[in-house]
Amino acid sequence: MTKPIIDDRTLEACQRGDPEAFRLLFEAHKDRVYSIALCFFDGDEATAKDITQEVFLKLMTFISQFQNRSELSTWLHRIVTNACLDRKRALRRFLSLGEPHERTLPDRRMSLEDKYAQRETEASVRKVIASMKPKLRIAILLKYFDDLSYDEMAAALGCSKGTVASRLNRAHRILARKLSHLRAVAAGE
Amino acid sequence: MVRKHVIRQLSAHYHQELSADENLKIETHLRTCSQCRTAYEEIRLGARLASVLQISSAPETIWTDVPAKPKISRHWRRVGFAALATAAILVAVAVREDFYSGPSWEVTGLRGMSRLHIGETLETDTGSQAQIKIANIGRLVVRPDSRIRLLATQSNQHRIALDRGKIEAQTWSPPRLFVVDTPSASAIDLGCQYILEVQEDGSSLLRVTLGLVALERDGPETIVPAGAFCRTRKGAGPGTPYFEDASAELQAAVTKIDSVNDPGERLRQLQIVIRESHVRDALSLWHLLPRMDTQARGMIYDRLAQLLPPPPEVTRDGILALNPKMLDTWKKVVSQLWQ
Repeated sequence: MTKPIIDDRTLEACQRGDPEAFRLLFEAHKDRVYSIALCFFDGDEATAKDITQEVFLKLMTFISQFQNRSELSTWLHRIVTNACLDRKRALRRFLSLGEPHERTLPDRRMSLEDKYAQRETEASVRKVIASMKPKLRIAILLKYFDDLSYDEMAAALGCSKGTVASRLNRAHRILARKLSHLRAVAAGE
Repeated sequence: MVRKHVIRQLSAHYHQELSADENLKIETHLRTCSQCRTAYEEIRLGARLASVLQISSAPETIWTDVPAKPKISRHWRRVGFAALATAAILVAVAVREDFYSGPSWEVTGLRGMSRLHIGETLETDTGSQAQIKIANIGRLVVRPDSRIRLLATQSNQHRIALDRGKIEAQTWSPPRLFVVDTPSASAIDLGCQYILEVQEDGSSLLRVTLGLVALERDGPETIVPAGAFCRTRKGAGPGTPYFEDASAELQAAVTKIDSVNDPGERLRQLQIVIRESHVRDALSLWHLLPRMDTQARGMIYDRLAQLLPPPPEVTRDGILALNPKMLDTWKKVVSQLWQ
């Protein structure tokens, strides 16, 4: 996965209140933020949209206080993590698990058959991820949507690298055990 | 033959997050251990499955609700009314703030108080607690039988004093915006979530649950990461932090070191810390380094170097002399524990 490039000039322009620069920043990060929230909330598009808006409003409020892109990136991931975990806690009383929301997966250049298999596999993976404990869920989403290093994840999650490794270990093994029937499909990825 | 399993490191190995030496050790182990090999196959399968996740496009409508602030700013600049608008806003804010006796935080859950203004005290009794919005950067729960005072709230700092009792704080601001003064130290928020309790004698106990907190009092910062505790004592400032999964013996020894002055006793307790220490306890060892005498510092260096070897340019003599450059260099390695 290629990470978007936001240079220091764009960041400085954002800090001056330049709306075009902020739009660039938004474009660079919005799909990843939205994807993490969408998967975290089991395909709930309304909640994912709310979370994405919340994250960018906070980003806009505090943008003037960042010294560099690295600080901004760490903070952005931390805000996404907190927004998801906070919303999860708040909704716990009202939401029942096991009712996944319908969503449309993006088209890709594959045969119809391949596309169908890919969609089925991805839907199964999303379902298993949605059933994991929130801390495991957010760890695996940060890793596979944002391709963060363990150091970056530790900063975003507010834990040690060892804890990151441990959470990913558990998440990987849950996926493998619950989706062992997809072994052949995964081998062909 | 006793073999140490490597299951906990297998995801890090798969993601190439380990050093060449560590990778080699794991590969060697995997050749001879069927249990770890099976676990590794599971992790590889789990990782391959997770790799099928595709980025979804965020709906365009999100943007229409987000960038109101920059659009307004640009509009006013373009028509040349920025100064006028700013002045009008400042006057409006000044009038409003004057009307409400200055900036304040929203309070819920406490009878008779809905706002906390600068200079005011909020006190809970044994049967009440309060929830407070820390401006727009976080929230605070004031537990029963506690007293706080709001000292400052402005864009570059939000500060309270916790005179006694317990608070739970959660913030989503950049580091160092939220500070809690206690009788024995100041807690500076570098991250997200923590619990701070002040006893009647002015001592306090900090437990960080997410992110990082720095404790300060007339000296270098003490860093307390998620999963760690730190005690502070009136007149002595922050103690030595330790992780909650450290052994009971280590925790007791660290607390003893912080509370006694007798060099012999401190050395005896340090021997317990060293004997009980594992890699995460480098947090405690690192903070003990500048607090002990040279002999003790040598013992700390030797253990710390086993747990988290220093870069080649860092020497034992340099660390014993507390050479700032060498401490900074090694800290980059040690601080991976809390970054």
